[in-house]
Amino acid sequence: MTFDYGGRVALVTGAGRGLGFAIAKGLHEAGATVAINDRTPEACDAAIARLGGGARLVTAPADLSAADGPGQAVAQATRGGRLDFLINNAAVNIEKPIEATDDAHWDTHLNVILRASFLTVQAALPLLKASRGCIVNVASELGLHAIANNVAYVSAKHGLVTMTKAMAIELAPDGVRANALCPGTMDTELMRDCAADSGDLAAYYAAFNRYHPVGRLASPDEIAAFVLCLLSPAAAFMTGSAIAIDGGSTAGRL
Amino acid sequence: MEFDGKTIFVTGSTRGIGAAAAELFLERGGSVILHGRRQADVDAAVSRLSPRHPGRVRGLAADLADRAQCRSLAQEVGALDILVNCGGIFHEASIADTGHAIWDETIAVNLTAPWVLSQSLLPILRQRKGTIVNVGSDAAMLGYAGCVAYCASKGALVGLTRALATELAPDVRVLCVCPGPTETDMMRQSVATAPDEAKARQQWANYTLLDRVAAPREIGEAILLAASPRATFMTGSVIMADGGATAGRRV
Repeated sequence: MTFDYGGRVALVTGAGRGLGFAIAKGLHEAGATVAINDRTPEACDAAIARLGGGARLVTAPADLSAADGPGQAVAQATRGGRLDFLINNAAVNIEKPIEATDDAHWDTHLNVILRASFLTVQAALPLLKASRGCIVNVASELGLHAIANNVAYVSAKHGLVTMTKAMAIELAPDGVRANALCPGTMDTELMRDCAADSGDLAAYYAAFNRYHPVGRLASPDEIAAFVLCLLSPAAAFMTGSAIAIDGGSTAGRL
Repeated sequence: MEFDGKTIFVTGSTRGIGAAAAELFLERGGSVILHGRRQADVDAAVSRLSPRHPGRVRGLAADLADRAQCRSLAQEVGALDILVNCGGIFHEASIADTGHAIWDETIAVNLTAPWVLSQSLLPILRQRKGTIVNVGSDAAMLGYAGCVAYCASKGALVGLTRALATELAPDVRVLCVCPGPTETDMMRQSVATAPDEAKARQQWANYTLLDRVAAPREIGEAILLAASPRATFMTGSVIMADGGATAGRRV
């Protein structure tokens, strides 16, 4: 499917790599002006360069773990006075057993995944209402069920799913839609980092391939393609949904 | 009796659902550690319950918004079999009006405190094959306008429940009881600040299929069910005690 998002403005957080980059790429190819958020100006610039540069790519670096980061990202993204699509994609995911989960680890996950997604919406709200825009909060299949050694991430992603529902209800009268996307494991740089950290990359990948009944990981591009669909008029009746796009991982076991 | 010889620590138990659950645990043989934010409230709750249950009630005061106080609290609790994370706060505010203080306090009390207490008490809970019961809300499943931080915190508490259950099995069972609207100070305050009090009260009732709000004791019973030694195959469960609020609605 192809979409025409010419004249639309989007902010994608965590767009330097992985799914965020794939979503930014898809939106940019569809004609949108895309603000690229990542932690550093260098990461944003690199992503913009990979996308070919030009007037429809805006840099919006900010550290989303800080309380003022989300506002900074939105301010940079909305200098043109317009915002149609807010994609809260930025996340951290560091596996740790319960006993090893310290305050810094807990706070980083809760702040980047949950608080930052709230604060970007709050900061962008007047412009989203004006455009009758669309919010996509990228949660995870781990917003719907749990695995071990990921307590902070699982808690934050579950919170993001319910927060999306609260936003959808509150903003429905304004014509602003909010949905939570719950992807399964994707073959991203983050996944490769986790696999490398595990000490046995091949075994890690094999376990996650098995974990998804379809027997493979998702590609960021196929998830991004669905996000473009979700932003389109084809999905105009969808709001407050938690959409599993997970190769069957939350549906059952093989 | 069902909870003979068991020690149960219930946060937020000087009033509301926590007080009702604490009283039920005592009536069924348990020893209870009460908790509230203010020492005077804790003392009053202990004085009220200890004459009927001599030697089985004590109380501790701490502010759950402060994780250092949560850790000291866990130390003072010492040995226990059942942890009930019931203390919670509810701020009504639109997305635009939810300031940093409301957000941070809601997450701290409703999510981070249950996490810190669970983690701090884990060695003894593992050793005793204990149980953790988190008190969620129908707002963990349903989005409500005007309480975005509360919905986020309760949804996350369900995630915490599932993550703890997954990792702590088979040593510790972890469950979440999700009440619907309940006749507590939390609800009364919300109703009292509404423009039309009677209408607000009716709206709460109409969220449920039973067309009424719960009595705190009814939610207490659901908490005891989750904590019961009869529930040994239940873990990671999200038990909706919500009068059907999440099951269906009328057009």
